[in-house]
Amino acid sequence: MRIADHPILGKQRKREVTITFNGTSYTALEGESIAAALLANNIRTLRYSEIAKSPRALYCGIGHCFECRVTVDGVRSKRACITTVKDGMFISSQGVDSP
Amino acid sequence: MNDMIICRCEDVTLGELISHIENGSQTVKSLKLQTRAGMGICQGRTCRVLVEQVMTYYADESNIISSSVGTNFPIRPIRLAELAQNGKGDP
Amino acid sequence: MKFDLVVIGAGPAGISAAIKARKNGAHVLIVDENPVAGGKLLGQLYEVPDKGWWIGQRIAEKLVDQATSIGVQFLQETEAWGIFPGWKVVLENSETIDTSYVLIATGAAEKALPIPGWTKPGVIAIGAAQVLTNYHRVKPGKRVAIIGVDPLSLSIAQELQLAGVEVVGIYLPPINPFSQEKADPHYLLTNLAKMSHLAPNQLLKTAGKMLHNPFVKKLAAKWYPANGLKIGNIPLYLRKRVMEIGGETEVDHIRVAPINRNGGTVLDDSIPVEVDCVCLSGGLYPLSELAGSVGCKMVTIKELGGTIPLYSPEMETTQSGLFVAGNITGIEGAKVAMAQGNLAATAISSRLGLLENPSSALEQAISEVEKERKNAILTFMPQVEEGREKVTTMWKTT
Repeated sequence: MRIADHPILGKQRKREVTITFNGTSYTALEGESIAAALLANNIRTLRYSEIAKSPRALYCGIGHCFECRVTVDGVRSKRACITTVKDGMFISSQGVDSP
Repeated sequence: MNDMIICRCEDVTLGELISHIENGSQTVKSLKLQTRAGMGICQGRTCRVLVEQVMTYYADESNIISSSVGTNFPIRPIRLAELAQNGKGDP
Repeated sequence: MKFDLVVIGAGPAGISAAIKARKNGAHVLIVDENPVAGGKLLGQLYEVPDKGWWIGQRIAEKLVDQATSIGVQFLQETEAWGIFPGWKVVLENSETIDTSYVLIATGAAEKALPIPGWTKPGVIAIGAAQVLTNYHRVKPGKRVAIIGVDPLSLSIAQELQLAGVEVVGIYLPPINPFSQEKADPHYLLTNLAKMSHLAPNQLLKTAGKMLHNPFVKKLAAKWYPANGLKIGNIPLYLRKRVMEIGGETEVDHIRVAPINRNGGTVLDDSIPVEVDCVCLSGGLYPLSELAGSVGCKMVTIKELGGTIPLYSPEMETTQSGLFVAGNITGIEGAKVAMAQGNLAATAISSRLGLLENPSSALEQAISEVEKERKNAILTFMPQVEEGREKVTTMWKTT
């Protein structure tokens, strides 16, 4: 899902970092958001809704709607769309029993 | 369409909102209090306008009592610990 | 420490204001909840006729470099959750910042456009698609459908295609309590024409040209081809509605129904179209909750996109010392926001006694806002000028 060579913006050179989502390791690029990093790894579903337990994901993309909330290094409800990945970051979905 | 979710945080559907209007909800505020629409973590930032639109569309106009559901501080969710800290003056 | 000015929001309006005020000698802090400064600039990418590409990310980087080099302080990843008289800005870590003046430049958010299935993973707001594609360089999907026809969605459709995303079409939403004029093909045709002169891309220009002839415009809604017009490689379907977004756990299709000549939907003829991502475009509205909570007089002006804090010709709200600039005052492009930021900062500098000739500086700043508005290549609200006049009138009578 990555745009390796954009016709106007060109190529991106960013350092790779490793993040963990629900127990699995993924490669992310330094400076990108958690939501972008996971989507680049073909992951859309970020959490399950509290009551209906339906899968939810990125929606507004600007930190407004809180749909993409995830637990990051033990802190609940961080917005995946405006939280930058860090090497060794441990991310998990809310609304499911701990993996 | 009644299955469609209006409040994403609290999983409130259009059907639930309509049935509360049919059962006599006359204000956006009472609709909110009865269904919890707009009372989740985002505090109605996505659905506030939608709930108002549902009210205008489905309620008999003469039955709507206008009430304002404005914005209040804090405008972002904050942790209770931080709020407690704030009350104690400079940390 | 006490600041002369705290700016909330590091978008085009906020950073421009901070630079101006700092240049005049003020001590300025910008607070922003995003990890990187730049706001909506970060995702913007379009071609300006005869001037080349507007690459928002690079413009943002230049502004931030300039601001930092002259001593503007940035506090990123920090939410401001309240403002209290005096002025005190309270941050998420419960820290309180004292300041003589506050500029609220919180920008805009997108209106929700609910459609059955809109909470499924893969359904995103059109602005999210823009940030993913142009800033993070990650495709929002392989096959994408866009619902909602407006200058923003038409522009982003083109940006997606440029990045190699297959855009299967731009569609109308179903008729429901929320879609309102967004579901009306005739309204869309009339207003697209108003908003698309000097448009930044081929898609908008073609739509505009097609509608310049009033006779064509009148008939267009009726005779617009049922299979859409291909503009670039993207079909713009003004006679098709997406009734439902489907998929077991994530989006895998949309259900598309034709619109008959009277504007009604022909449900019996609906067909599924395979997609893995749907972008909803409900239009932008001013993000004014902070101003509303602090007690600024709020007014709803449809021509500006929603509810805004009433502001003076110098961008001051009804709360003395509290200023606004950018999309919080109404939906317009980045250049207008920058000019408004400049104007607010000039007014604040003048109050701080930093200007030698405040009245001519203010006059110039005001005329720059008007100039940018006239030269705007992308108009989001067709009656923005009327909206601004309403504000002026309301302010006089307050």
